[in-house]
Amino acid sequence: MSSSREKILAAARANKPAETPLPTVPDFGGDASVERFMAVLSSIGGRVVWVADPAQLGPVVQQLFPDARRTASNLFPATVGVHAQTPTSGLAEVDLAVLPGEIGVAENGAVWLPEANMLHRALPTVTQHLVLVLDHRHIVATMHQAYARLPNTGGYGAFVAGPSKTADIEQSLVIGAHGARSLVLVLY
Amino acid sequence: MSHSLRAATFVADADRTTWHDETLWFVRQKRDKAVYAVPEFQELRELASQIKEHTLGRLDEYLKQFEAEARRNGVHVHWAADAAEHNDIILDIIRRHNDTRVVKSKSMLTEECHLNPHLLGHGIEVIDTDLGERIIQLREEAPSHLVLPAIHLKKEDVGATFHQHLGTEKGNHDPQQLTEAARQHLRAKFLAAEVAISGVNFAVAETGGVVICTNEGNADLGVNLARVHIASMGIEKLIPRLSDLGVFTRLLARSATGQPVTTYTSHYTKPADGRELHVVIVDNGRTQQLGRPDFRASLKCIRCGACMNTCPVYRRSGGHSYDFTVPGPIGAILSPNIDLKKHSSLPFASTLCGSCTDVCPVKIDIHTQLYKWRQVLAEAGEIPIAKKWSLRFMGRFLASPKAFGLGGKLARTGLRLLPHQLTHAQALNPWAVARELPEPPKQSFREWYARAVKQ
Ligand code: SF4
Repeated sequence: MSSSREKILAAARANKPAETPLPTVPDFGGDASVERFMAVLSSIGGRVVWVADPAQLGPVVQQLFPDARRTASNLFPATVGVHAQTPTSGLAEVDLAVLPGEIGVAENGAVWLPEANMLHRALPTVTQHLVLVLDHRHIVATMHQAYARLPNTGGYGAFVAGPSKTADIEQSLVIGAHGARSLVLVLY
Repeated sequence: MSHSLRAATFVADADRTTWHDETLWFVRQKRDKAVYAVPEFQELRELASQIKEHTLGRLDEYLKQFEAEARRNGVHVHWAADAAEHNDIILDIIRRHNDTRVVKSKSMLTEECHLNPHLLGHGIEVIDTDLGERIIQLREEAPSHLVLPAIHLKKEDVGATFHQHLGTEKGNHDPQQLTEAARQHLRAKFLAAEVAISGVNFAVAETGGVVICTNEGNADLGVNLARVHIASMGIEKLIPRLSDLGVFTRLLARSATGQPVTTYTSHYTKPADGRELHVVIVDNGRTQQLGRPDFRASLKCIRCGACMNTCPVYRRSGGHSYDFTVPGPIGAILSPNIDLKKHSSLPFASTLCGSCTDVCPVKIDIHTQLYKWRQVLAEAGEIPIAKKWSLRFMGRFLASPKAFGLGGKLARTGLRLLPHQLTHAQALNPWAVARELPEPPKQSFREWYARAVKQ
């Protein structure tokens, strides 16, 4: 054990204020409608597509991304096989990743994507375009409800809300910084 | 150099000052819109403040819990008492892997510790990957804002920088095209990097995991491609439970940029198979601040930047005028804790209007603390002689109705009769450097009142 550890812990113990109670966070309710979720996600640069039946996923993706050559997915027959040990060079070639989301959050358009659903941790950001597929019955109102549904966050997991973006040059919003240039959410 | 002197260089360009002011006010307005859309926003602020208050009251226990959980997850946990130790730990990890290519995502703590020069000095290439950070890294400048590091630059500045360093076309300053150039340039760096360094937005004691929030996805891309991830975290980043993230993720981006949430809110709990995750827990003066009852609330800060976007002084003086890693109102509270002498002018870089306190998502009493620092500084003899004596004189003067009445009369006549050159002489009246003195009224309120009562 390092001495800095002891030093920091001792100083924290000696200098900390009197303990106050940890508040209970209420649920707050809120609007968990598909309409709200779609409106918010569109406002942050995402695109939402409805399919009546998840079996249509293949043709729908084909239609959305006719030029995508190298597609990775665990939902329909893909052209590149990506797994946890795929080397960087292989990942760098992926044009499109189609992955299942677990929870949608209506108030901010975020979709929970756990490690188990992403083939490789880097895939959702290294791919040029990202499609997330979500069951509309898994939409909740707020982040409180989303976290309440997560038993834990696994080894890695992310809430993804729209495509990668930046406003670092004179506050002009540019979609497609380092991560996926576009995000399409397929709802069923 | 004092804040006001450094600010003088910034305000010398009046157009740029106005533009800077308006740009940040625009961000503040976006924040307002996002906040009003959440009915329970004020309740969330109160909850966030209480959660942080509670955490500070058990800080040592939560640190130990976090460490134990993280170790159980296979994370390497390191402790750094100060900046030097933080930098040594990180250099050591990189060297043990014989690596030289490092990508970094935004972290004010590594800025605070001056990690980049340390690594570069040891032959390690360290590339900042947040677009704003990369721009200022190429220009060899410091960030001027917590969330918008290059907010002081115009697109023409960025165009010129990219032309020089990335070979973009001269005169091209289209944000879309410049961002694309940076994307290509940085993608090569991401793909080649062996080690990725990141900051931490929240560390969850219950799970031993760290949470990183970005819009660009640069942290995720870097960290998930590299073999080694080193996350640098201040001890104040802790929150007790996973569910507390519900509160903080609803507040952070709305307060920062008016977005409902950052694009990526990523939870790192265990290293991927065959890879390493290191967390460096850093004190660097924080436990000392914890021991100052008047100022410890500053440790609740979640670095959203809302206080700077709203501050009339920050907006018109620019982040660099603070000459501290964290500028603006919150920086002016944190900095005297680090070096009272060097940063003695910062608590005066405020109008005490209280706007910072009004917007702070964790309810830090920022303007009250600024006022308290002024008293501490006066006591320590750290305010300029002229200010000290004039304040003392003003105190006496304002306490005496007779002197005040007489002084008012003299001023009213004086302002009318004395030549402009004298009343506005910059050496005698620094207040009038950039301001006109008011038109003196014919009579004082007291004179008017006395007459009005008689009638
Ligand atoms: S002090 Fe409050 S408003 Fe300022 S950056 Fe910190 S959390 Fe945001």
